[in-house]
Amino acid sequence: MAQLEAASAGFETENPPGDLAIWFFIFAELLVFGVFFIAYAVARRHDVALFDHSQLSLSRVAGGANTAVLITSSYFVVRAVAAIRRGDARRCSGWLLGAISLGAVFVVIKLTEFHAKFAAGVTLSTNTFFMFYLSLTFFHFMHVIMGMVILAAVALKARRGGYSAEDYTGVETGASYWHMVDLVWIILFPLVYVVH
Amino acid sequence: MSGPTGKSARTAHRLRPDTGIWLLLLALTATTFGVGEAGLGGVWVIGLVMGLAVLKGYLVSGFFMGLRRTRLLWRLLMLGWLVGVVGTVAALCLTAVK
Repeated sequence: MAQLEAASAGFETENPPGDLAIWFFIFAELLVFGVFFIAYAVARRHDVALFDHSQLSLSRVAGGANTAVLITSSYFVVRAVAAIRRGDARRCSGWLLGAISLGAVFVVIKLTEFHAKFAAGVTLSTNTFFMFYLSLTFFHFMHVIMGMVILAAVALKARRGGYSAEDYTGVETGASYWHMVDLVWIILFPLVYVVH
Repeated sequence: MSGPTGKSARTAHRLRPDTGIWLLLLALTATTFGVGEAGLGGVWVIGLVMGLAVLKGYLVSGFFMGLRRTRLLWRLLMLGWLVGVVGTVAALCLTAVK
């Protein structure tokens, strides 16, 4: 009840938006990515020259474009949540479809990058930098795919009238997961593509 | 019932806060990208780029994820992750600068 009253007064809540369980999952995921990032930095510290040289072969344009794409898709998801809070399920579904489309753009850009690397003979065993680059970005890539599936399920349910201005926890839950995917890339991009 | 005149009309045309955050995030991304394209490196650049990453993470978690309206514990958890991870990474990168 307190949550409901707080929600009506500007959506201020004690707990984060969406199902509480997703937040345990989100923090568990963030912990895993955090360990991955620190392991990357430790490995880089042992061979800065190798990491700096290998990084030159990455497409910073692709990495930057993907950052803008994910940030924009996150913004679309914010608009989807705002729409369902007003009870506008059709618009909510539309914003979510926009976010999924941008997710698809991310996937295409990333696959193009992966293809270019594999075509150049780069594999996990090429060197330590590429081992981290391929595994870290592929791990994140799988989260993008997972996020797109979740958003698609939410969009479909919204389109069928499964959410309303009184019941939209599912939309917030999917949105929170998608923002986490964006948040991780926001750290990954400068670390892997820019810092040298 | 009031029509779209006066104060309500001005409100309708005001930039949404989340739109402002989105544009700010894109501008910060462009800055990070520009630093990379300029081929800049070194202590200050690493500090700047990782600092921008923390700021962007704070904006996404606070405004997009909605954590700024939750109880302190959740905000501290997220801020702890951001500062802890990015701070450790930045420290490792900074001490490895040739």
